[in-house]
Amino acid sequence: MAGLELLSDQGYRLDGRKASELRKVQARMGVFAQADGSAYLEQGNTKALAVVYGPHEIRGSRSRALHDRAVINCQYSMATFSTAERKRRPHGDRKSTEMSLHLKQTFEAAVMTQLYPRSQIDIYVKILQSDGGNYSVCVNAATLAVIDAGIPMRDYVCACTVGFVDETPLADLCYAEESGGVSSLALALLPRGGQIALLQMDARLHQDHLETLIEAAMTACKGVSKVLDEVVRQHLQEVSVLTGE
Amino acid sequence: MMEVCGSSNVTLREFGCEQSLLSRPDGSASFIQGDTSVMAGVYGPAEVKVSKEIYDRATLEVLIQPKVGLPSVRERSQEQCVRETCEASLLLSLHPRSSLTLILQVLHDDGSLLSCFLNAACMALMDAGLPMSCLFCGVTCAIDADGQIITDPTAAQEKQSRALMTFAIDSTEHRVMMSSTKGSFSVYELQQCIAVSQKASEKIFQFYRDSVRRRYSKTL
Amino acid sequence: MKDTPLCNCERDFLLKAIEEKKRLDGRQTYDYRKIKITFGTDYGCCFVDLGKTRVMAQVSCELVAPKDNRPNEGIMFFNVELSPMASPAFEQGRQSELSVKLNRQLERCLRNSKCIDTESLCVVSGEKVWQIRVDVHMLNHDGNLMDAVSIAAITALCHFRRPDVGIQGDEVTVYSPEERDPIPLSIYHMPISVSFSFFQEGTYLLVDPCEREERVMDGLLMIAMNKHREICSIQSSGGIMLLKEQVMRCSKIASVKVSEITELINKALENDKKARKAGGRCGFAESMPQERITALKKDKTAVEMTDVSERANEIVQKAEALPQTVPSPVVPVPGVGQVGQGPQNTWGLDEEEDEEDSDEEQEEQVTKMEEEHSENKEESRGGEVVEISDSEEEEVVILHPEKPDRTPKNTGSTSHQKVAASSKKRTKK
Repeated sequence: MAGLELLSDQGYRLDGRKASELRKVQARMGVFAQADGSAYLEQGNTKALAVVYGPHEIRGSRSRALHDRAVINCQYSMATFSTAERKRRPHGDRKSTEMSLHLKQTFEAAVMTQLYPRSQIDIYVKILQSDGGNYSVCVNAATLAVIDAGIPMRDYVCACTVGFVDETPLADLCYAEESGGVSSLALALLPRGGQIALLQMDARLHQDHLETLIEAAMTACKGVSKVLDEVVRQHLQEVSVLTGE
Repeated sequence: MMEVCGSSNVTLREFGCEQSLLSRPDGSASFIQGDTSVMAGVYGPAEVKVSKEIYDRATLEVLIQPKVGLPSVRERSQEQCVRETCEASLLLSLHPRSSLTLILQVLHDDGSLLSCFLNAACMALMDAGLPMSCLFCGVTCAIDADGQIITDPTAAQEKQSRALMTFAIDSTEHRVMMSSTKGSFSVYELQQCIAVSQKASEKIFQFYRDSVRRRYSKTL
Repeated sequence: MKDTPLCNCERDFLLKAIEEKKRLDGRQTYDYRKIKITFGTDYGCCFVDLGKTRVMAQVSCELVAPKDNRPNEGIMFFNVELSPMASPAFEQGRQSELSVKLNRQLERCLRNSKCIDTESLCVVSGEKVWQIRVDVHMLNHDGNLMDAVSIAAITALCHFRRPDVGIQGDEVTVYSPEERDPIPLSIYHMPISVSFSFFQEGTYLLVDPCEREERVMDGLLMIAMNKHREICSIQSSGGIMLLKEQVMRCSKIASVKVSEITELINKALENDKKARKAGGRCGFAESMPQERITALKKDKTAVEMTDVSERANEIVQKAEALPQTVPSPVVPVPGVGQVGQGPQNTWGLDEEEDEEDSDEEQEEQVTKMEEEHSENKEESRGGEVVEISDSEEEEVVILHPEKPDRTPKNTGSTSHQKVAASSKKRTKK
């Protein structure tokens, strides 16, 4: 991908966005009737589907049950048709297991698990089309699904991936920018308290730029949280209209 | 009649041993023969999975970890050798329904690996304080192309040898507990190698005694 | 095997102590345990001791075909093995969460940060590149595995030398270490990871947690940096909520620690280089501490061989009395040998018996029933008639010398096996 300018002189990126602009977010809640909670979220060209089952009794080994909290079980997988080249092994490989662990960790911080001791909450996320920012889109979709399931959370969990090019942070990276060797930082934030649920960064970045990058990520996440809030309110309105309130 | 082996070849490389070098295992030891070094760790007697428990004895499990790559069939066969030797010398019936796990890690392989495993295993079992009816040691002999017997061969010597034999010798009566051989050799050569190993094992047992004496010198 | 669970009073004690800024081993909040780095005999082998946590790393290389989408880059492969020796909780072969976590973190720390110049590993573009494989084995788990693993991996990579390669037209020659000096890998920078553990909902922070502290912590923040103050990787794990200020503070502490550790690594590499140049022996054997009471070393010794040959002769002579009664084998069909008549055939078929046993005696033998074997020897010394011929452990194989298709199925790589081992008993007669 040499020669592609990730940030032009006028400040425009590959897809015409400005440096701090997010991609278009479209979301729908309640897409599946049989699941307790489900949501579909599109962020630019990245599409993810999240489904939540629970809280229900612990399936499988009773020994995994925690006496004071619920266990959150996450599974992340990518559809075989989601990437440019057909994915040979959609789940079970190290990267997917790592993503599942990260998702679990993010939601353990946000969901109020003390209200459901000795139970289990399952969150399944599937990427239908991958165009960068996989983790962030998964987290956003899963947040909506958990809200749809009616499980109490401390706050919205919003995530965003930011990159650093030419001393400027770029919010919400697409695949071309991610694979261009840009240092990328994925952040999952609870916007009201400004608490970071997960922080992940790869590739080299000088320590002095870290603060600007985290700031940019937090601003982007706050932007995402506004959109998610809108979606939830709209969905509630539709549902209340249907139930005749 | 074969000629007697030249006494100049029958030497043991320098060996060294350190016990209790790891804090987590119940017993640990590292054994060095020349450049070959092996680390052994023992856990036990500990809880055993119901599927593996034996009602009147402890279940001994041996795991050998090679340096590069995952364990393969070769490691499995070596594990078998070590396990049979240990089972013959440990008093397993003192700990029924328990598990003993012995883990051996290759630190560097420069020949005589199986005998190094056996020596490290014995020292680790001693360090863990597990009751044994006898100590055991491993001695490797190689017969080179000229028919000379070499004890404790290096990797280069092993490669050029015509036959390679490892014997596990017990400490009480210097009998052969286990033998593993590779290559072709005559009956006479086999008997010679066994006799040579028995002689060499005396040196190794003396070394065991010296190291344990040194270790407990402050307390005794 | 299960790990012993942590009792509540121990947990409360640890948390209370941390609140009072006290640690179990008396360290300060930002102190690292003592780090000791030693090297093995061959290049690329390194042992790291972080307090009581012990880790061994080994680097090896191999020529393989490159990946399709990157034809002129070498391949790096990392493998972190949680050996059952390190902790009773680790099980052989199972890919537990911790193992996935460590593997992925090491990969991201070393591979994504591009610390090694992979393009220099290319030999023939599109056909042959070097694959560098880093195996890290856990020997003892006393907390903070990630840091120990990262130090061991990067030190082993710095220490490693790969064989020199010569290209002449289409031919590629790999020179052995004796022919040409092996060359080191080109490493741009050394990323080192520093772990911070958080307690009590993020109120307290400790650097380099030991195993007990890890059990009671809420979560871990891992920052990998190099000494040029470039952050190579950040990873938070364990469901903790961080504030931006905490992350910034941690990164500042990390930069200080990383420069200290990098200096330590460089010093260790220097010392090892000097020792190797001076021609001294180096390796695990040399680094074994002598002054400890639990260690002992003994020099090369000759073994007394005074009565060996007499004993051996005795045994063989006594055994030799028997062979006359053993008939020479019958080889009815190529690949089949028959010694003796054997028991009566109850199948009602042909009389031909396959002596499959004689095949196996040429293979790598692992004899288990050693009581039987040693008993035989006892009896032979006693002078009784020994039925050696019945014992399957005897290495006497009677083969027809002109039947070379009886190749021994050896798993070993020794090439000296000659199948034409004619009867040794016959020659002695």
